Amino acid sequence: MNVSIESAEGGVSVARSHGRLDFGASAEFQKALEAAVAAKPKGLVVECSALEYVSSAGLRAFLVAARAAKAGGVGFAACALQPSVMEVFEVSGFSKIIDVKTDLAAALAAMA
Amino acid sequence: MINLVDELVLLTVEDDGAVAYTAGRSGFLMSAVGACLVELNELGRIDADLEAVRVLSAEPTGHPALDSVLQAIEQGPALGIKAWIRRLTPQATDVVRLSLAALASRGILQPSESRFLWVLKTRRYPLLDGSEKKEAKLRIVSTLLGDDIPTPHDSVLIGLARVGGLLEGFLSASEIDRLSGRINQIGSVDLIAKGVESAIREEQLEVARTFLGPV
Repeated sequence: MNVSIESAEGGVSVARSHGRLDFGASAEFQKALEAAVAAKPKGLVVECSALEYVSSAGLRAFLVAARAAKAGGVGFAACALQPSVMEVFEVSGFSKIIDVKTDLAAALAAMA
Repeated sequence: MINLVDELVLLTVEDDGAVAYTAGRSGFLMSAVGACLVELNELGRIDADLEAVRVLSAEPTGHPALDSVLQAIEQGPALGIKAWIRRLTPQATDVVRLSLAALASRGILQPSESRFLWVLKTRRYPLLDGSEKKEAKLRIVSTLLGDDIPTPHDSVLIGLARVGGLLEGFLSASEIDRLSGRINQIGSVDLIAKGVESAIREEQLEVARTFLGPV
C-alpha cells in the first residue's frame, strides 16, 4: 500500500492510494491524509482506482481523515472506487457520510 | 479513555447500581460482543472484511473481556463477522461480567451484594461518582445534535447503543424518533458494527418465524 499526494486544479489536493488498505497500512494512510488536510487545501479527493482492498481498520482511517477534513473546513471526497471497495463503503454506511464520485473529474467538478 | 465495551456496559448501569438492559437483551449481548471485536480491531489484534475475521496477533491486551474473545477467535474456525457475533453471543454474559469487573478495578463502579426477599443474592454496581457515564451520554447526545463526522469510537458506540436498546435509557422515544435520520447516518460506520446489526436482524427474523410462521 502506498499513497501519494499531488495538487490539482482549483486548490484541491488529490491522494492516490494503491494496493491494500488493511490494518498494517492504515496508520500510514491516515497520517498521509491528515497531513494533506493540515495543509488546508480547498478540498481533498482520494482517488481509489488502484486501491484493491479496504478492511475494517482501513475504513476507520478513512473516517478519521474525513472527520479531520470536515473539522478543518476542507472538502473531502473519494472517487473511482473498485466494485469491491465500493461494496465496503456501502455496507459500512461510509458512503452516507462522504461524497463518493465515479471519477476524478466528477470529484474535482463537485469541489469547484 | 474507557474502551468501547466498558463504555457500552457502563451505559447499562443505573443510578442504583442495577445492571439493566432496557430493551432487547439479546441485542445488547450481541452489541457487547461486537464492541469487543471493534476494540480488538483498533488494538491491532484482529482485522475484518466482508469475508472473514482474521487474527493479526494473539498477544493478550490485558483486558479480560477482550482477551476471552480474542482467544476464542484465535482457537476457532475461519468465520465472517456475523458468524462470529452469533458464535460468541452465548459467552456475552461473561464479557459483561468481566467488563463490570474491569470498571470496578478502575474505580468507576463499586460492586456490592444485597439480598432480595432476604434470600436471593443480587449484585449491584453503584457508580462511584457517575462522571464517566455522564460523559459518555453527553458525548452521544452532542454528536447526535451536531453535524460533525464522529470519531470511529463514537460512531460505533452510538450504533451499538441503538441496536442494544441503550439509547432508550437516556433519550425519550420521541427524541430517538426525531434523531433517527442522524443516528442512521452516523451510527456504526464500521464493518464489524454493521455485522452486529445484521446478526440482530437475522435473529429477530428467526424469532418472528418461530412464533408467526414464515415471514
